[in-house]
Amino acid sequence: MSTVTTEAIRKTVLVDFAPAEAFELFTARIASWWPVRTHSYGGDKVKNVILEPHVGGRLYEVTDDEEQDWGKVLAWDPPNGFLLDWQIGEACGTEVEVTFAPEGPGSRVVLEHRGFSESDPRERYEGGWDVVLAPFVETASKKA
Amino acid sequence: MHAFDVLGDPVRRRLLELLADGERTAGALTEIVRAEFGISQPAVSQHLRVLREAGLVSDNKEGTRRVYRIEPDGLLRVREYFDGFWAEALEHFREAAREETG
Repeated sequence: MSTVTTEAIRKTVLVDFAPAEAFELFTARIASWWPVRTHSYGGDKVKNVILEPHVGGRLYEVTDDEEQDWGKVLAWDPPNGFLLDWQIGEACGTEVEVTFAPEGPGSRVVLEHRGFSESDPRERYEGGWDVVLAPFVETASKKA
Repeated sequence: MHAFDVLGDPVRRRLLELLADGERTAGALTEIVRAEFGISQPAVSQHLRVLREAGLVSDNKEGTRRVYRIEPDGLLRVREYFDGFWAEALEHFREAAREETG
């Protein structure tokens, strides 16, 4: 019997500086800390990780040959937080929200990854299909 | 820890999209995906095996056909995966934050 829940994933980090700095480190300087070796498509070949700082902006990795999207910005509210449409394969249709709140002399950074509890798989993949449709159509027509 | 490639492969994503509409035979899936991606039948079988082993799809022999369907619990495994994924990623953020204040 599985005891795994479909509730949102929720992780908290406490840092010793104000929300604005925490927001900047997390977003503008994401490439300085993100573990690309284990958390990317390209692994050791990844040269950069970029989060475009506006609604509609992309979160993506860069290798010598190409860029690969991880997600898209749905909401952008520095220094309070941001919301991503998470677009990694089977997790398409889930959302990642990161918030930054003052706590004492520092900040509480909370990451929530949610959307795992749809009862109808079609709801998840329909959203995902729109995102992937365009590049596949292009690729398919090039192969034809 | 796996790279995104395990979850993010476009062929596997397409297979899951096809199965989200309802169950299909291995043959039907193979025909569609081979045409769209230009890959071989063994390559499609390999992708189906990865999805099976990840618990995202299940298969049944029905007469002479092998029928695939989406595993509804598959979402739980994806969630499990990302739970560890974020724990690790944020550990790196925590380290970087500590170095800032040092």
